[in-house]
Amino acid sequence: MKPLLSRKSSKKVGDFATVLPALLFLGVFVYYPVVQVVRISFTNWNLINDSYKYVGLKNWIWLFEGSGTKYLLNSLKVTFLYTLGELFVTIIGGMILAVIFNKLAKSFSIMRALVFLPKYIAMSSAAVVFLWILNTDNGILNYFIMKMGGTKVNWLGDKNRALLSILMLTGWRTIGYGMMIYLAAMRGISTNYYEAASIDGASKWTQFSRITLPLLSPTTLFLFVTTFISAMKVFQSVDVLTSGGPYRSTEVIVYMIYKYAMEDFRMDRASTVAVFFFIILLIITATTMKISNRSVNYDV
Amino acid sequence: MKKSLLLILSLLVVCSLAFAAGSGEKAQAPAAKISYEVTEPITIDWWHALEQQYWPLVDEIVGGFNKSNDLITVEAKYIGNYATVNENLVAAHAANSGVPAITVANTPYVAEYGKGGLTEDLTPYIKATGYDIDDFGEGMLVASAYEGKQVSLPFLISTQVMYYNKTMADKEGITIPAKFADMEAFLKKATKKDASGTTTRWGTIVPGWDQWYFETFFLNNGVKIVNDDRMTTDLGGKASVAVTKQLQDYMNKGYAYWAAGTSASSTMRQNFLDGKAFSVIHTSSLYNLYTDLADFEVGMAWLPAGDTKKSEIGGSVILIPAKNDQKVKNAAWVFLQYLVGKEVNMRWADGSGYMPTRNSVLTTQEGEDFLKRKPAFKTIFDNLDEINPRIQHAGWNQLATIWKSNLDQIMLENTNVESQLKVMAEEINEVLADSE
Repeated sequence: MKPLLSRKSSKKVGDFATVLPALLFLGVFVYYPVVQVVRISFTNWNLINDSYKYVGLKNWIWLFEGSGTKYLLNSLKVTFLYTLGELFVTIIGGMILAVIFNKLAKSFSIMRALVFLPKYIAMSSAAVVFLWILNTDNGILNYFIMKMGGTKVNWLGDKNRALLSILMLTGWRTIGYGMMIYLAAMRGISTNYYEAASIDGASKWTQFSRITLPLLSPTTLFLFVTTFISAMKVFQSVDVLTSGGPYRSTEVIVYMIYKYAMEDFRMDRASTVAVFFFIILLIITATTMKISNRSVNYDV
Repeated sequence: MKKSLLLILSLLVVCSLAFAAGSGEKAQAPAAKISYEVTEPITIDWWHALEQQYWPLVDEIVGGFNKSNDLITVEAKYIGNYATVNENLVAAHAANSGVPAITVANTPYVAEYGKGGLTEDLTPYIKATGYDIDDFGEGMLVASAYEGKQVSLPFLISTQVMYYNKTMADKEGITIPAKFADMEAFLKKATKKDASGTTTRWGTIVPGWDQWYFETFFLNNGVKIVNDDRMTTDLGGKASVAVTKQLQDYMNKGYAYWAAGTSASSTMRQNFLDGKAFSVIHTSSLYNLYTDLADFEVGMAWLPAGDTKKSEIGGSVILIPAKNDQKVKNAAWVFLQYLVGKEVNMRWADGSGYMPTRNSVLTTQEGEDFLKRKPAFKTIFDNLDEINPRIQHAGWNQLATIWKSNLDQIMLENTNVESQLKVMAEEINEVLADSE
């Protein structure tokens, strides 16, 4: 008797059945909400009301031609500045620490662990501690600054310093993570390259710039993409430390979305900003991946 | 080509399904006669925002109810501050899951909750059980109603006051001004500066973290925060510019500072307790906290008046979320009556800094006795008629956020008042028109 499906088709059905649970999960918890958010952006849904009306492009006009534009531009600027700061700390700071710890003896591993440890402290808990460290009148940071003859600094209440203060917390948490990833990658580079370079008379800097850096490029790409996406979505530290203030100087995009949804109950506007943000992230990530395919060296 | 077509068709199906979901309004069920009686044992949740220092009092009051009631067991749950209660409540309402039987809510949310149908209209319950609400202060009842519907009842009520260091005031002969026009002279006297001109003691501190604290300065000086058309604001007008400039001037002269930011409230309180500020503007509900922590005598004064001397109701109302089973609502109504009852209300007033809410307390011997225990409250009792309901508008929270943010910038960055308020007013007008 001839089987119902050919061997090839039967394999396809089997493969599909294998991925079906994951597809269903993604469909329900990822794609369906995304579609819903797009839909809500065309309504006037207030979170408290059960009913709503479709309002066409009204929310999009508010975002690009109405009072929402200046807040969107402000939030984009703040988000990109924050992201640049976090990228700098994680990639440059992490690499510098990795180079240092790579040279240190094994007995320094405790220090390495100490640098890495903050990554495992919950952001909300760490932020509450930093809230007190950075307090203008009673914070320990200002106490030391004043002991050294300086004057009090309004870390969280000054619009020129508030974002920097948030980055201090971020840096404290992420620099160790960057270091560990780079350290693992550095230890995977064959020593043969360095030995050959030494024989040819290459200096330490030449070895670093011509061997280490190029061979770390996949790691750098990985850190860049993951840090970029997580930094663009920063929320908790902003919520606890500044609530987006003073006067929106730390209002990152996700905080803007949260504020419209949960404080103003404007789920329609929050969804519009969320959809726009989703598109931006999608474009940037795709572009990064495309560029990296051309410039990243995967030979180790 | 075929694959692309299939993909497009699949996406269209998903989108149309998604668009279809929830787009229709719910059909109204025919009205049936509702019984408001509790007939079987039930356990209900009460969400509150009373911080840890009040938990023994909460346990005592809830325990008293549970002991006296055979059928209803109440579990009190501390959710967080008013903003957190709001977020959790609105999220539970939207999800139609995890809604508490009864909850507190900060007074400015009444209009939005009422308009959105989050709250149960208590009017039929009041009628069915013959509950007497006339003993509440009239302004308090208005503050807890929306468009004539009693969607909540007054619970822990407070108002804006000025706390001052009475020990310092007596020693230095400083009196709190009755008029806004006399503020500058008062601040000049109460402020201390060192030889370099740096302020070492502020005359007062103005809370910028919540517009409730500074809005009475505007209301009493002729500013219509929401105009009668309910679509526009007068916050960009001459009167508003004048008040804002006056406040900005106090900051520029070092007489006062604008308390903004996440820990502004606790920092302001600490500055007052440390003698770094002569006075602070805060809520009357913190009276117990200030007097417990201060090592000097704390005075309480009415805020300096303009053309009028109004203040506004603060604190919380209590409500029953509409998306509850009728059995739960009935049990919640029984507990609600107990919570806002005269006897329990007096225990709240004694154990916290909140005000008694009942006329039969405020105007009788019981009120006199209360004043003997808390003499500083005389300033509030003397001005009871001046305490008004909050402005009710569905776009109020958005208005408040925009106003706060702009005043923060004006006070902290010393920006141009006229131009900034003009742009701000245009934005607020858009919000008001969109929300009405």
